[in-house]
Amino acid sequence: MTEKKPKKVFIDGPISPDFVAKSIASHSTKKDIGAHSIFLGQVRNDMIDGKSVAAIEYTTYPEMADLKFHEIREAAFEAYPLTCLHIYHSLGTVLAGEISLFVFTSAIHRAEAIKACEYIVERIKHEVPVWGKEILEDGSGSWKVNTV
Amino acid sequence: MDKVKSKITLLAFGQLTDITGQSTWQMEDITDTDQLKNILIEKHPALANSKYLLAVNMEIIRGNVKLNPGDVVALLPPFSGG
Repeated sequence: MTEKKPKKVFIDGPISPDFVAKSIASHSTKKDIGAHSIFLGQVRNDMIDGKSVAAIEYTTYPEMADLKFHEIREAAFEAYPLTCLHIYHSLGTVLAGEISLFVFTSAIHRAEAIKACEYIVERIKHEVPVWGKEILEDGSGSWKVNTV
Repeated sequence: MDKVKSKITLLAFGQLTDITGQSTWQMEDITDTDQLKNILIEKHPALANSKYLLAVNMEIIRGNVKLNPGDVVALLPPFSGG
């Protein structure tokens, strides 16, 4: 399956709504697909010590992250009958309100697409070495901790 | 043993770089991860109160693991991607 080869996941800066739209449009030629499921992670303006989060700065351990994304992708194709799977994650600065994670699964029927999408998002959150530093409105920084 | 070949490479990420003051460096004559942790805590006492996992050559390890020259040991604080 052509979708199984290692792919570029990281995007410098935010993932634009236009990029998401184009990704959807590019699937119109794959007419065996009956369902897409999309997860979009958006940077939230949490309050920390009375200051709101203005942006998150993402960094990674690139070699290990690539390995993990590849493992997750292989496992998802193994566990669910997917037609197509795309994962994109931001690095660098993403402002509050912008998109930093885009997971896009496609299958013949909705149940597989939805379940696979959730499975992938959970594994990314727990297993991929990416760190977010929350940049507060006054310019100070605070390291983000994911909710389990 | 050749000095250069006896070295391991250390990588630190995220909030741990605030403690170690550097994100990549080399260390000599380290035989296992328990010894490495003790030396790191001696140098950077704040590490004792930090939550992190060790990855040896990109594989997360639990317990003590023997280290070989050329190994890459990464200090990984809790992930916060997405």
